[in-house]
Amino acid sequence: MRLKKWASGLFGLMGCAALAALPALADPVTITDMTGRTITLAKPAERVIVFPVPWASTVIALDGGTKRLIAMHPESKLAIEEGILGQFFPAAHDIRSDIIAGGASKGFIPNVEAVAALKPDLVIQWGNRKDDGVTPLANAGIDTAAIVYGAEENARQIMTLVATATGNADKLGMLMKWRDDTAKVLKDGLAGLADADRPKVAYFFYTTPEFQTEGKGSYMEWQINLAGGVNAAKDIDGWGAVGLEQIAAWDPDVILLGSFEPQVSVAKIYDDPILGATRAAKAKRVYKVPVGGYRWDPPSQDSPLMWMWLASILHPDRFSFDVRAATAEWYVRIYGHEPTPEQLDQVLLLDMNAKGAGYDKFSRK
Amino acid sequence: MSAPASIAVDKGGRRYDGELLWLVVFAVLLGAAMLGGICLGRLSIAPSQVFDSITRWAGGASAETLEERIVLLVRAPRVLMGALAGMGLAMAGAALQGLFRNPLVSPDILGITAGAAFGGALAILLGESSMVLIGSAFAFGVLALLLVGFISRVDGRSDTMTVVLAGVVVAAMFTALVSFVQFVADPDSTLPAIVAWLMGSFASITWFRVGIATLPIVIGALGLMLLRFRINLLSLGEDEARSFGIRVERERWILFLLVALISGGVVSVSGIVGWVGLVIPHAARLLVGPDHRILVPASGLLGGAYMVAIDTVARNATAAEIPLGVLTAAIGAPIFAILLRRMYYTESRR
Repeated sequence: MRLKKWASGLFGLMGCAALAALPALADPVTITDMTGRTITLAKPAERVIVFPVPWASTVIALDGGTKRLIAMHPESKLAIEEGILGQFFPAAHDIRSDIIAGGASKGFIPNVEAVAALKPDLVIQWGNRKDDGVTPLANAGIDTAAIVYGAEENARQIMTLVATATGNADKLGMLMKWRDDTAKVLKDGLAGLADADRPKVAYFFYTTPEFQTEGKGSYMEWQINLAGGVNAAKDIDGWGAVGLEQIAAWDPDVILLGSFEPQVSVAKIYDDPILGATRAAKAKRVYKVPVGGYRWDPPSQDSPLMWMWLASILHPDRFSFDVRAATAEWYVRIYGHEPTPEQLDQVLLLDMNAKGAGYDKFSRK
Repeated sequence: MSAPASIAVDKGGRRYDGELLWLVVFAVLLGAAMLGGICLGRLSIAPSQVFDSITRWAGGASAETLEERIVLLVRAPRVLMGALAGMGLAMAGAALQGLFRNPLVSPDILGITAGAAFGGALAILLGESSMVLIGSAFAFGVLALLLVGFISRVDGRSDTMTVVLAGVVVAAMFTALVSFVQFVADPDSTLPAIVAWLMGSFASITWFRVGIATLPIVIGALGLMLLRFRINLLSLGEDEARSFGIRVERERWILFLLVALISGGVVSVSGIVGWVGLVIPHAARLLVGPDHRILVPASGLLGGAYMVAIDTVARNATAAEIPLGVLTAAIGAPIFAILLRRMYYTESRR
C-alpha cells in the first residue's frame, strides 16, 4: 500500500492524473483507465492491441521494439509503413491490423472475435463512445482500457497508462521529463512576447476536397500557442471545414499542412490564386508537418520534436534549436535506432519543405 | 388514385396577371439573393469594390488584388452555381410532382439522387476526372430511374404509389452501394473526398466546375420549359392525357430523362443537396397555383433564390462552413412533415 501511495505521489508530481501502479516485477499491475475503470493484470501485459491511432507507436516506443504490440488500427499501420518506424522495425510490417468490425480500414468498433482470437493481455480502446467501442470487448472478458485524448494532459495520462501496463516506468520518466524540459525552454524563450508578435498560424489536416482545420481546444491549437503562435481558427469549435474566402479573411502569417495527406504538396497553396496571395504564401512560410515515429500533428511520444520544429519556424529570432540533431539523438533514446541522414531528410520532409523560408536550418550541415 | 385538389389543371381560360406578377417577384428575389451572395462573405469587401471588380472584369481585365480574386474566382462561380442548381432541382421537382400527380415526389424520392451519388462516389474512388464524374453521376441517375420504371410497371402501366415505393427501394439499394464504396475507399485520400462530396457543398466550386454542370442543367431546364404544357396534360391522368393525343409513356420518359440530366449535373459538382426539389415547388404552387406553364418557371426562379440564400448563410454564418445538405434538410424536413399532414387530412375527408 505504501508503495502504491509512493508511486501515485511520484506520478502526481509529474502532472499525471491517471492512477499508476505497482512497478515491481511479476507483481499484479493495476491501472485506472480514463473512464475510471480499474483493471488488474496478473503481470505486465505482454500482448497488447491498440485501437486509438497515435498510441500504437507509443507501445513500440516504450518497448523500444515490436514484441508487445500484436495488433493495431489500420491507420496506425499506414503511418508506420509510411514513416520511419517501418524502417527501424521491419517486423512492424507483419503486425496485424484486421481488428475493426467488418474488416474495415476505418472506424472504431472492434471485431470482438478477431480481437479475442489474438489472446491479448490488454486492449487499449477509444473511450469517447464507450458503449460501442469498449463494452463489447469488456463483455467478452477482455481487459480493455478506455482512453480519451485531445489535450497535453491526456497525452501524458495515456503514456503513463501504457507504460504502467507494460512495465516501462523508467522510460516513461525520461519521456515525461523531456516534455517538461522542452515546454519550459519554449516558455522561457517566449518570455515577454507581445500578442502582436505571435504569428497567426492556419493548420489544415485535410485540404481535399475542402480545407479542414482544428479550432478552439484542439491539441494543434495548444501546440501553436506553446510555440508562440496564435491559431487562425481559434473561433471555430473543434474541427471544421473552411472556405477559401475565410482563409483569405484570416490572412495567416504561417500555413501548416497536416501529414495525413502525404500526396498533397505545399504547391497546392502557392499555386492557388486565392491562397497564393496570403501573407504566408508571399513570405514562403508554408510548411508540411513532418512524420517521424508517428505523425507530428497529433500528440505522441515525438511531440517535443514538433514543438521545437514549430517554435523554430515561428520564432527563428528567439530559438536556435538543432531539431535535426535532437531528432537523431532522441530517436536513439526512444526507438534505439540512429536515423541515417536520408531518414532525417525524410522525417523533416526536406524535399517538400526546402523552399520554405528559413528551412535550410533543418538541412544537413 | 385521384389527383389531390391542389394539382387540378383547369384554369377555365382565366388570364394569368396575378401569376405573372409572382414570376416578377421571384425574379427580383433571385436577383436580390445573387446580389447579396456576391456582396457578402467572410472577407469584408465594400459593395462598390465588388461592382468595380465585376465591371473591370467584364471589360476584359483579369483579377489582380486578393479582393478581386475573391469576388471573381470564389463568390461569382458559387453564386451562379447555387442559382443554377436551385433552379434546376426545383423545376425538376415541379415536373415530377405534376407527372405523378403526387405532391410528395422529388428527384430524391425517385432514387435518381442516390443513383447519381453512387455514380459520383464510384468515379472519385477510381480517381477519375471531373468530366467522368459528371458522366458517371448522370448515367447512374438514369439507371436508377430505369430500374424504378422497370420495377413499377405491371401490365404495361405504372401506378403512382408503386413508382414511389419502387423509388424508395432503388434509393435504398444505391445508398447501400455508396456505403460499400466508402467501405473500400482509401481512408487517407479518397474517403474524405467522398464523404465531403456526399454532404453537399458549393465550397469547392470553380469556374471549370460551373462550366461542366451548366450544360446538362440548362438543357434539362430548357426541356422542361418547352414541355411544361405537356406536364399539365400528363397530370390529368393517363386516360385523359391519351384522349388529348399524348403518347403517355414516351412523354413521361422524356421528362424523366430531363430530370436525370438536371440531377446528375447538380450532384456531380455539389454532391447531394436534398429537399430543394420537394419544398420549393410546393411553396411556388401555393402562390401561383397548379398550372405548370407558370409553376415550372416560378419554381425555377424561387429555387434559385432559395439555394443562393441558403449557400450565403452556409458560408457566412460561422467561420467553419455548414454543409448545405444539413441546412436544406433542417428547413425542408419540417415543411415536408406539414405537407404530409395536410394531404392526409384532405384525403381522409373525401
